[in-house]
Amino acid sequence: MESISRISSLLETARDLTLEAARDAGPRKPSRPLPVPQIKKLLDSRTERDVLDGLRRVISMQYANPPQPTLTFFPAVLKTLSTPYPSTRPLVYNYLIHHAEQDPDTALLSINTIQKSLSDSNPRVRAMALKTMSGIRIPMISQIVSLAVKKGVSDLSPLVRKAAALACVKCIRLDDTTRPQVEEYLATLLLDKQYYVAGAAVQAFIEVCPERLDLIHPAYRRLCKMVVDMDEWGQLALIRLMTVYARKCFPRRTKRARRAQTREEKEKGFYEDLEPKDEEEAGYDDVEVTDPDLVLFLTSIQPLLQSRNSAVIVAVTRAYLYLSPTTHLLHATGPLIALLRSPQDIQQVALHNILQVCLNDPSQFVPYLLHFLIRSTEPPQIRGLKFELLTLIFPHSGKECQDLILAELEHFSHSHDADLVGESVRAIGRCAQASLARTSRRCLSLLLKQIHSADSNLVGEAIEVIRHLIQRSPNEHRKTVIRLAKNLDTLTSSSARASIIWLVGEFVGTEGEDSIAADVLRILVKGYAAEADEVRAQIILLAAKVYLGFCNTRNAASKKSATDSRSVEEESYEQMDDANNNGDFNGDALAGDEPTHPIELLYNYTMLLARYTPSYDLRDRARLYRALLAVPTSTELASLILWAPKPVPVAQSPGEARRKFLLGSAGLIVGAGGLQGTYTLPEWVGEGEEPDSKLRDEGEEAREYVPVAGRDKVVSAGSRLDEALGADAVRAKNKSLDDWLDEESEGESEETEEEEEEESSGEEESGSEEESEEESEEEGDERSGLVR
Amino acid sequence: MSAIDAVYIYDEHKYDNLLFLSPSTSGTSEPLLVLEFLHRVADALEEFLGSPLLASKISANYDVVAQILAEIADGGVVCQGEANALRDVVETGPGVLNHILGKVGIPGNNLAPGTQTGIGPTGALQRLQATGSGSGLGSQTATLSSAGSAIPWRRSNVRHTSNELYVDIVETLSVTLAPSGRPLAAFAYGSIAFTSKVSGVPDLLLSLSTGGMGSGMGNRGDQLRSVMERVVFHPCVRLNKWKSEGVMSFVPPDGKFVLCGYEVDLLGADAPFTAGSNNALNSLNLPATVRVTTGLGTSGNEFEVRISQPVSSSLSNARSAATTSLQSNLGSNSRNSAFKAGSAGDSKGPTIENLVVNIPLPTTVRNVTDLHPSKGEAAWNPVDGVVEWRVPAKDFGPLGAVLRCAVQGPHNDGGDEIGGVLNGLTATTYDYNDDEPSSAYQSQKEKQSTNGSAMRTSKMASGEKNRELMPTSATVSFGVKGWLASGLKVESLLLDVKKSRGLGAEVKPYKGVKYLSVSRRGVEVRC
Repeated sequence: MESISRISSLLETARDLTLEAARDAGPRKPSRPLPVPQIKKLLDSRTERDVLDGLRRVISMQYANPPQPTLTFFPAVLKTLSTPYPSTRPLVYNYLIHHAEQDPDTALLSINTIQKSLSDSNPRVRAMALKTMSGIRIPMISQIVSLAVKKGVSDLSPLVRKAAALACVKCIRLDDTTRPQVEEYLATLLLDKQYYVAGAAVQAFIEVCPERLDLIHPAYRRLCKMVVDMDEWGQLALIRLMTVYARKCFPRRTKRARRAQTREEKEKGFYEDLEPKDEEEAGYDDVEVTDPDLVLFLTSIQPLLQSRNSAVIVAVTRAYLYLSPTTHLLHATGPLIALLRSPQDIQQVALHNILQVCLNDPSQFVPYLLHFLIRSTEPPQIRGLKFELLTLIFPHSGKECQDLILAELEHFSHSHDADLVGESVRAIGRCAQASLARTSRRCLSLLLKQIHSADSNLVGEAIEVIRHLIQRSPNEHRKTVIRLAKNLDTLTSSSARASIIWLVGEFVGTEGEDSIAADVLRILVKGYAAEADEVRAQIILLAAKVYLGFCNTRNAASKKSATDSRSVEEESYEQMDDANNNGDFNGDALAGDEPTHPIELLYNYTMLLARYTPSYDLRDRARLYRALLAVPTSTELASLILWAPKPVPVAQSPGEARRKFLLGSAGLIVGAGGLQGTYTLPEWVGEGEEPDSKLRDEGEEAREYVPVAGRDKVVSAGSRLDEALGADAVRAKNKSLDDWLDEESEGESEETEEEEEEESSGEEESGSEEESEEESEEEGDERSGLVR
Repeated sequence: MSAIDAVYIYDEHKYDNLLFLSPSTSGTSEPLLVLEFLHRVADALEEFLGSPLLASKISANYDVVAQILAEIADGGVVCQGEANALRDVVETGPGVLNHILGKVGIPGNNLAPGTQTGIGPTGALQRLQATGSGSGLGSQTATLSSAGSAIPWRRSNVRHTSNELYVDIVETLSVTLAPSGRPLAAFAYGSIAFTSKVSGVPDLLLSLSTGGMGSGMGNRGDQLRSVMERVVFHPCVRLNKWKSEGVMSFVPPDGKFVLCGYEVDLLGADAPFTAGSNNALNSLNLPATVRVTTGLGTSGNEFEVRISQPVSSSLSNARSAATTSLQSNLGSNSRNSAFKAGSAGDSKGPTIENLVVNIPLPTTVRNVTDLHPSKGEAAWNPVDGVVEWRVPAKDFGPLGAVLRCAVQGPHNDGGDEIGGVLNGLTATTYDYNDDEPSSAYQSQKEKQSTNGSAMRTSKMASGEKNRELMPTSATVSFGVKGWLASGLKVESLLLDVKKSRGLGAEVKPYKGVKYLSVSRRGVEVRC
């Protein structure tokens, strides 16, 4: 949702705004700085107005740039605490929190007054006092703070209880030894009936002790019911907490059932992604059996998808994605798309998250295709993300949509922005890769059209992508190569020419006699002098490959005839040949027998040209090939080197690299590295290791929160105690506490093991990823590497 | 935010000319949370300091800013995002807000317990019951009333001398047109901004009508929901009421806020991608469309931009149709009596304002000459590489307007270079640059006279070259008051007297409605 300030800026014209600005600025011009004694005098004054003015000046000085020393006012400011005007309180408290660390002794003087305010009749004053006291960063007072929090926890006013919940965080930060007490307070606050107290308690819980999930059991159902009414920040914390809780407490149960015919396709797509199944199970489907308590959580957060807060929507999506992708995730798709309406900063983050969901299941985003159309006014980051989304949903969409996507990509491939051109052409390549043969051919013909463009940048990018496509399935693309070779007459972009020549060379080995390579070489050699070095290198390489092919076929033929007739003359001829070639190796390639076959002549001519090329790199390469091919009869080594099978390049969607990051986490946006601490979810708890679901039942009734003051009226303390004992007894009957603890610890240790395993496997994965990256890099360099 | 210990990443949010930075602790934080937080901070600051937010204003009110920040984020935990509710806790002192609040006494510090009795809990409670999740909270009533405002988003003790309610519906257009003029995608992103200046705790009921769209789809709620897609609400809106009846029932915060955000697919939900061009464009009802023709002129270095008002969707047409349909639907003229301001706005008729066409050109374009707009003013901004064409509203009629201009490419063309060098031998180095175009012209002319075929190739090359200089898109910006692209209308805004508290029975708040459709470079045509 857009913020109100943006909307109102649309509604009011610029002129109105400036008028209003002038008027607003009027009553409060930056006041002229006063000398220190005068401010002190103001603070000591008896009138509320003067004291306020003085305080305001002090606060302004404290935040001014550069900061001015305000510590000298400490006693004077503290003295104003004794004035009867409550209006000064917030400012004094602010000053106190800011300066307490610098002068603890003076700050301690104020503790007494604040403590008095803790029992003020006005709940707001009590809340403020509690907040301030916990904010004073002097470890000495940690016990006092803890006591104050304790008092606040049982306060009648929810305002104070909320302040108490937030104070818990600060209390722990002040002094970690208060942790046991604070956790106790939080356990009480989590059970609070007032939704904003519970929300704050959850926020504090996440900060203080996120691993104490046992405190959540009794509050679980109530929190789930309250989540709709909490404020957005409480909702965020709760969803985050419950997602972890669900992973740890609800085992993933599956029941095998006959798969429903209608949903087959949809589910198949999903299951193939997540859990590879055996072939024999194909007729069955693992239907998730979700714990009713988990269902309660998942359904209760569904209304939050209409929240105005983008973070909440992404958090709900995260819960659905990692807890129940089959049943609930669909609800989140629309709201995610709605985030694209937000301001640009949020839009970008939202797109990253959409991408992450899309990687899991692209098909559900097909109806929203039109939202991903690129606009010329968008910044490059957003553009890139949208391109990626379009290519991801491409294979899953119908023909009309595919047409639209291709037209869109084609339009941007004619753009003026070099990056944009590259991105869109690569996107077409990814589309071709991901789809069926027929559509893939359409993409290819689209790319082939591009090579006639005047924009050399576009041509270079297009040929590069075409090369990748051809390499993926060389047998289908012989004709394409011939078509490309025809373009050599007109193409000007040297990188494109080099790419095509390399491709032609690659096909020498597979096609044998029918190869057009020799012809291509003949034509190219004529223009050798006018080519760029990049192209010359490829021409030399092509010559070597063609000659190698020629030698191989001749050798095979001669070997065949040799084995057939076993004629001595042939062998002697070969020996003679060897001798001659040895001579070649030492001296000149052109020496010895006069080559008669045109390919030999061509090869020799090319090598001669290379020999007198200015670039020493090219001369070196030529020397290498000459040495490799010096003996026409033993070409094994040359074949190994020149015709080595090239790994098929796979252009990965850029988002794949970030797949390991959790939806909505900062790591997802920033990318790998640079962030300390990652935010991960635990694995699903194993069957039978989860805490008993009765824990959630019992808590509901037995540990209901009643304010201390109200307790006496409701039940006497004694009867409550009896009740509690009775509840314990009931629990003991069902399962002894020790049993339960044992289970818990077992579960935990196993969990940690699992986590370790997970980590190590994660490392392996990342390692293999790196390897694959290296491979692809190698592949990229391979062309040149081979030539070297 | 002093309690945040370590800073690893900064999330930033740019707002007007101010840059908000928030330190966040580690990789575990959620970036969206931080961004939303920053937006809230900006909103809160604006609520207290007035808009626009200026750096000088912030530094003059450090005391208020410090309090706001302390309240919004307590010890690094975001705990209060509602700007309006902050009114209760932030001490602003005399002189700051008086004029903003209309000289009404601010409750400030004198929060005597008990003043809220009977007012406080109702809203929250009803919301709880409406959402079906509150159970047995009735016993809390007594506790709440002493604790200030029970509605987290509304400040307590609201008092206004003049009671007013304003509904402003703003739709931002986002339309993409294919080179043929066929719309590829057309969305209107709507927001309902609400201004409430009503004493006590009002309980309001806002119902919208679709203006004929989506008819034949069951009851009115269904129709509305089929038009308004992917709705998000301010937390005050009761979701159940929306789901069941398609009306918005809420207790508003005091002052300005965004009630609801939605989007409308102007092409219709299931429009085929390859529909006939004219029908689709007409159904869009855009107040202005644009068409770009490139590669004109003898050497293909000119292009023409034509904006026009589609005949079928001329604004007056649309408006009268909408009005009549509304009246026939209602059968009575009740709407006019309910919204005096709205009808006043309507009587003028919607007019197009701030019509600007932006044509981004490639960076290789050196200059744009011969800017000939038939109406308005056009200018070439070399820094951004954009031709900006402003057309005054009064000049823009059904006939439309045309802008024609020629672009000049870079110097480093082969022929130019040779000519330049030749000329440079005789000319001084100072006017080398000035001479170059003319020398290129000369060299071309030379070729022309000597060799016909060379001329033809050079012309072809220049055409090819100029194609790279042509724009690939143009965007139109405009604002239309009193008209919504989606055709939504406010049908009624009722104040539920039974549920509302603190407002005299005879007080009838003044109600106003404003419609606005804007395109901020939102209508984009490709070519």
